[in-house]
Amino acid sequence: MMEHSFLDKYSTLKSPIHSLNPKSKIIVLFLLLIISVSTKPTSFLAFGIYALVVFSLIALSKVPFKYVIKKSLVVIPFVVMVAIFIPFLKKDAVGGGISFGFGGADTISVSYSGLIIFFNILIKSYIGVLTVILLSSTTSFTKLLKGFEELKAPKFMIMLASFTYRYLFVLADEVIKMKRARDSRCFGGKWLWHAKTIGHMIGSLFLRSYERAERVYIAMISRGYEGEFNRIATPSMKAGDFAFITLLLTILLSTRILAA
Amino acid sequence: MHIPDGFLSGGINIAAFAASAAVCGYSIKKCGNDLGDKQVPLLGVTAAFIFAAQMLNFPVAGGTSGHFLGATLAAILMGPAATCLILALVLILQCLGFADGGLTALGSNIFNMGVVGGFGSYFIFIMLKKFLPDSRGRFMAAAAITSWVTVMLVTALVALELAVSGTSPFAVVFPAMLGVHAIIGVGEAIITTTVLSVIYASRPDLIATSGNI
Repeated sequence: MMEHSFLDKYSTLKSPIHSLNPKSKIIVLFLLLIISVSTKPTSFLAFGIYALVVFSLIALSKVPFKYVIKKSLVVIPFVVMVAIFIPFLKKDAVGGGISFGFGGADTISVSYSGLIIFFNILIKSYIGVLTVILLSSTTSFTKLLKGFEELKAPKFMIMLASFTYRYLFVLADEVIKMKRARDSRCFGGKWLWHAKTIGHMIGSLFLRSYERAERVYIAMISRGYEGEFNRIATPSMKAGDFAFITLLLTILLSTRILAA
Repeated sequence: MHIPDGFLSGGINIAAFAASAAVCGYSIKKCGNDLGDKQVPLLGVTAAFIFAAQMLNFPVAGGTSGHFLGATLAAILMGPAATCLILALVLILQCLGFADGGLTALGSNIFNMGVVGGFGSYFIFIMLKKFLPDSRGRFMAAAAITSWVTVMLVTALVALELAVSGTSPFAVVFPAMLGVHAIIGVGEAIITTTVLSVIYASRPDLIATSGNI
């Protein structure tokens, strides 16, 4: 029972965005992120335009909105842990503070500069998450790797990534099976000392995966592996790709320059 | 621990990216020289292993949960250069596949967990082992201490980066994050030593740093 697409779900749909060359998507979406994080926090209109661009691309790609929104919630824990209290820490209060009635020291108030910092990280991290989801749900992982390879990413890392990607599903499956076996034996681990059980699971997971890797390596050698994969060449950049890059960069750069 | 986009200032992200790229370049060269082509599949599977192991969450307190980082375990098993590459790869996959950690903050995330987590924990472990005589108990004690210290070190670094970027004041974020991670670090230490003893029981040859215990 494998979840074959938990990294790049919906990457096999057919849409104008899916059929773009992976290189042009990587370039445009990476520049979108750079432009977004370098925009000053009070340029509300600029962030509106970036968000509009990302949402239009998502709409064009036919990837279900519900899936995108659900997946984008991954950013929440970090925001809650680090940023939620920022608006309350600065001194320049907007509106009246709420006092808890123990004198002045414990008054909680929302500050303008704190709110701006909070808005800044919230909008930038959310645009970042949406952009990456857009990239991974419109490009299959092998195509993405090919794109990075053609953009001169280190070959060793590309090789490593393609191996890892192949085994991810096998090992994730193994973890799901082990979890099921553990839970059916009444684990109920609610406390820190149950970490020992998890340690045993991870230990046997390591041994199983290491021995699998040894077997696979021997099998590969005996089938003529010489340290390289032969992959199907991806088509080169087409007119549509150049149009996509030009159009998007014109919108984004002019927004960024006008917002400065 | 995966910093999203927009939390850190551009300067920090660029500096951390440059540092990570340099260390990863060195690590690629070192792994290529030391280990040969056999190592690519092995490293690939180990990276998938760390990725899968991080799926197992353990509850900490008050509804929060932590998961295994694996930097210390990997450093003890495979040495710092391989660990740095493995963690870099896991972070890249988590960023691209799960949108966990921002693309513009990827350099910083790799610096914190791969470079400091991998090389840092290796050197702490080697130092601790020097002061402790070779025995299995001492080996495990060194592994446990290193795991805890590594988690705290990485957390302190994240807090420092957030403070320098002006995102949240040091006096607030530092104790808050370190407090939670002091407990997560204990979990990390328990898991690292348990995993090591499981491996020690059946494949002691896989522990690169075991020496003659």
